[in-house]
Amino acid sequence: MHFASLAASGESTGYPEQLPLLPHPAEMIVGVIAFAVLYWLFASKVVPNMEKLYAERAAAIEGGMAQAEEAQAQAQAALDQYNAQLKDARGEAARIREEARTQGAAIVEELRGQAQAEAGRITDSAHRQIEAERSSAAASLRGEVGRLSTDLASKIVGESLHDEVRQKGIVDRFLAELESGAISAEKVER
Amino acid sequence: MSLNVLSVQLMTSLAAEGDTFETPGVRSFWWPLVGGDHDNFAFTRPSLVMILSVVFLGWFFVSTTRRLALVPSKRQWLTEQTYDFVRNTIARDVIGTKDFRRFLPLLFTLFTLILVNNIAGIIPFVQYPTTSRIAFPIVLTLVVYVVYHVVGIRSKGGIGKYLGGMVPAGLPGWLKPIMFVLELLTYFFVRPLTLALRLFGNMMAGHLMLLVFILGGEYLLLHGDNFALKGAGVLSFAFSILMTAFELLIEFLQAFIFTMLTALYLADSLSEHH
Amino acid sequence: MTGSIAYLGYGLAAIGPGIGIGLIFAAYINGVARQPEARGMLQTIAFTGMALTEALAILGLVFAFVFK
Repeated sequence: MHFASLAASGESTGYPEQLPLLPHPAEMIVGVIAFAVLYWLFASKVVPNMEKLYAERAAAIEGGMAQAEEAQAQAQAALDQYNAQLKDARGEAARIREEARTQGAAIVEELRGQAQAEAGRITDSAHRQIEAERSSAAASLRGEVGRLSTDLASKIVGESLHDEVRQKGIVDRFLAELESGAISAEKVER
Repeated sequence: MSLNVLSVQLMTSLAAEGDTFETPGVRSFWWPLVGGDHDNFAFTRPSLVMILSVVFLGWFFVSTTRRLALVPSKRQWLTEQTYDFVRNTIARDVIGTKDFRRFLPLLFTLFTLILVNNIAGIIPFVQYPTTSRIAFPIVLTLVVYVVYHVVGIRSKGGIGKYLGGMVPAGLPGWLKPIMFVLELLTYFFVRPLTLALRLFGNMMAGHLMLLVFILGGEYLLLHGDNFALKGAGVLSFAFSILMTAFELLIEFLQAFIFTMLTALYLADSLSEHH
Repeated sequence: MTGSIAYLGYGLAAIGPGIGIGLIFAAYINGVARQPEARGMLQTIAFTGMALTEALAILGLVFAFVFK
């Protein structure tokens, strides 16, 4: 065998007994060729195709994204419109409510004014009636007091003083003086 | 590594060393199909898995993206989910919306290639995570390494500016040289080393763990002296099934982290301030 | 018992980064729980920190293989 002579001559090692970590030359050559072939295959065919696929897929996804964005925009527009309508309706309702409130307040105010006027009128007429009755009562009382005091004076004096009193108007004058405060009741009693 | 091959290994080991258990190790991952143990250009099983994975990935993604519909079918849905994960979760979030598009082929190639080659570790009859052979993580890391340096030099406008931009702004003067050395180490040494070895280490360790449980279980079951040992062998098989589910998580996570860190380094090279 | 002590060393070396990564992601989960909108930014920071912390464990793995 040819390797026996090679081993005998010591030119070739084959399996390195002393250093098992030494690489076997034939395997290195095979490794280089294998790597080169696979690299060439992958670099020229596999990777470009895969990258193209990635690009296509990214484009497809982006197209889908654009569609989704459009749909979203439409939905947003519809929502905006709806919101605007809702806002209008709310404003309308608030305006109507406000109007009703002001109307109600006006009605209440008006009614209150009417009631107050009515009450004032009733109070006034009552006052006037009371005043009239009071003055008539005072007038009749004055006559009565005059006549009574004249009667008393007549009994004390012993003769009728009616005519004289009437003539001279003493009682009236006295009463007038009494009312005006020219003389006081205390002085009369004393 | 599939079961039938494991048993072959086990039997050969038994034939050579009698009735002792050969622990699976890094050696278990060396598996030439054409050529021998000392052949530098032996065509190995992981190479075959790698080529098959490229054929599968190329067929699947080209056929599902030839006629793309806006509403995806089931297969297109799977393609889209994978692409979407790389494009939005990794590239766009980390690099930013401005420049992430031109790195999509790179990130998508890295993610799908690593994911399928990781998951190959638990696909029945394949059962070999290609990335557990360090040659493949180194190749992928070299690609990332060259790309993020070139991108960085271009976006900063010159090698001098690129190196100068590594020192964070606003540091006191005496700290600048130290930080520069640290950043230089990070950019040119730690980043590629960890990127390759993280993937390799996780995948190798995870698969080794499955190997230990399956091989150990088989050995206990076939050569156990009493029923307790045979029972332990059955238990070991059961645990390997559980670990397979755990591996699926790790495999996805490592593909994610590799792509994520690539995006992070690219974003770092593109950014203005750093 | 035979074997390489380097693997034992790697086991020890993995303790520190393990704790570190646990702390980073605990803080990240806390941050996201408090402010879910900051997830993208925190994720970037958390993974940067994780890459830095895990670098130590990975360097240990390399040395475990080298110094057999």
